[in-house]
Amino acid sequence: MTRNGPAGRWSVPPPPEGARDPRGDGPARRRALAWVAAIGLVAALAAGLVVVVSPRQRASAQDAPALTVQKAHAGSAAPALKGRIVLLTVGSDSGAPKFGRGGAVERGRADALQLVIVDPAKRRGSVLSFPRDSYVPIPGHGTSKINAAMAFGGPRLLVATFERLTGLTIDYYAVTSFDGLTDIVNKVGGVQVDVDMNLRDHFAGAFLDKGRQRLNGAQALAYARARKTLPGGDFDRSRHQGQLLLGGLGTFQRQVAEDPAKVMTWLGVLRDEVKTDLPFPELLRLALVANEIPPSSIRNVPVPSVAGSAGGASVVHLQPGAYALFARIRAGKLS
Amino acid sequence: MPIRSNSKGRGAGIAVVLVALLLAAGCTSGAGGQAPASTAGPPAPAGPLEVELVTTAKVPPGGPSARRAAQQAAPGLQRFLDRYLTAAYVDAAGGEAGWDGLLGLFDTPVRASARKQLDALSLGAAATEVSAVRPGRASARAVVLYGGKRPEAATVRLAFDGTADTAQGSGRVHLRSALQLLATGEGWRIAAFDSRTGPPK
Repeated sequence: MTRNGPAGRWSVPPPPEGARDPRGDGPARRRALAWVAAIGLVAALAAGLVVVVSPRQRASAQDAPALTVQKAHAGSAAPALKGRIVLLTVGSDSGAPKFGRGGAVERGRADALQLVIVDPAKRRGSVLSFPRDSYVPIPGHGTSKINAAMAFGGPRLLVATFERLTGLTIDYYAVTSFDGLTDIVNKVGGVQVDVDMNLRDHFAGAFLDKGRQRLNGAQALAYARARKTLPGGDFDRSRHQGQLLLGGLGTFQRQVAEDPAKVMTWLGVLRDEVKTDLPFPELLRLALVANEIPPSSIRNVPVPSVAGSAGGASVVHLQPGAYALFARIRAGKLS
Repeated sequence: MPIRSNSKGRGAGIAVVLVALLLAAGCTSGAGGQAPASTAGPPAPAGPLEVELVTTAKVPPGGPSARRAAQQAAPGLQRFLDRYLTAAYVDAAGGEAGWDGLLGLFDTPVRASARKQLDALSLGAAATEVSAVRPGRASARAVVLYGGKRPEAATVRLAFDGTADTAQGSGRVHLRSALQLLATGEGWRIAAFDSRTGPPK
């Protein structure tokens, strides 16, 4: 996580707002000149001399660099975190008053489910997108749709369900609502996403043309929810949700490259809109690490699955390829 | 609303001492000397380090007002930046103090990287050639993130200019940094940095 070179990771800090150029004529400059003049006068009197030196000439003499003491150096670094980090991100259908869906966000059904796996040392990762109707064992609740696990037992039960399903240890979870997603996107000024198909989905309100574009909050939510008119149904929707995550990462990186203080903006938005068990220091470190990982080094992988039914309900069955994928990740093979 | 602060009260006292020292120097060495910044003679005493800090705060709903939060956070940030610049430049001159004081200001996961990049963060390898650093202008702009009623993190853009004295003469030193800070039980720590030193472009 170390980089050296003539150009740093972030933009060179400009002078603070309100601060004046040292050669300017602001109050600080006038005070400095007054000090210089006073000191010069007292020193001259003490020596019994009359010296007439204008403040401008004196300042010029002091400003003239006589020697290069230090050559130019540039460097940057983010936290060097050890080991793999696995984060479960959840989009809940509750806790969204704007959509008329009340209740606690952590007790809703999980409509969007992504496992984000990051290898900080290798600067790469994967986003595994799970269909919400995946029919899986839920500890203490038999076999059901995976999105019901959070409604049964909150994020902890959902985490336990994923751990049993994948064999991975989930380090942290992060849950937001429909309202939360739209607010996050709007508060950061939109996210740039590579929309991979033309969308005319009246059910989700998604009307988007294929191509890279900046989505506002409502558009982002519609892109994440559109399913019924998509050729791949739930499979396409899961992929789109992963694209949104990666689009958000790219937007974050571009903004921070222009203004390092944008890290605080994003963390503030996440603090307000996301429920998580990530302690703040880890959230900050993870954000700083994420800033170093190119989105192109993160694979967006919809978990292999096929539509089916169980007990008369439409469900999604994970395919053998899904379990092979989990095994590869457990073995540390992210790509 | 941005909050501006510096440490002028302390600086005024040091300025009085400086005048006294200059008077003494004028009386004993005559008027034929060159400007201290460009001579190879005995180094001038270090002047006051005054970081002009502009602070803004991002507060959660129901938290303190942004203005109050910025006012609360500013003194601690200013002390931290004073410590940083003192360790990186003023105390580093001569190369005898080592870098542990400076590196202690970094969060553990980034400390090893900081140790490898001291030249971009401080006087660095030039410290052994420098007998003294006289601080010039130091300014910073901070955005502080509050969680509840306490600061949790901050981004600081720091600019520092000074004059370094060596046996061959004097020259300027510069630092321009963007620091990501984490509030810990032991105070602020640098969690990430992007920094450059050396002559200005």
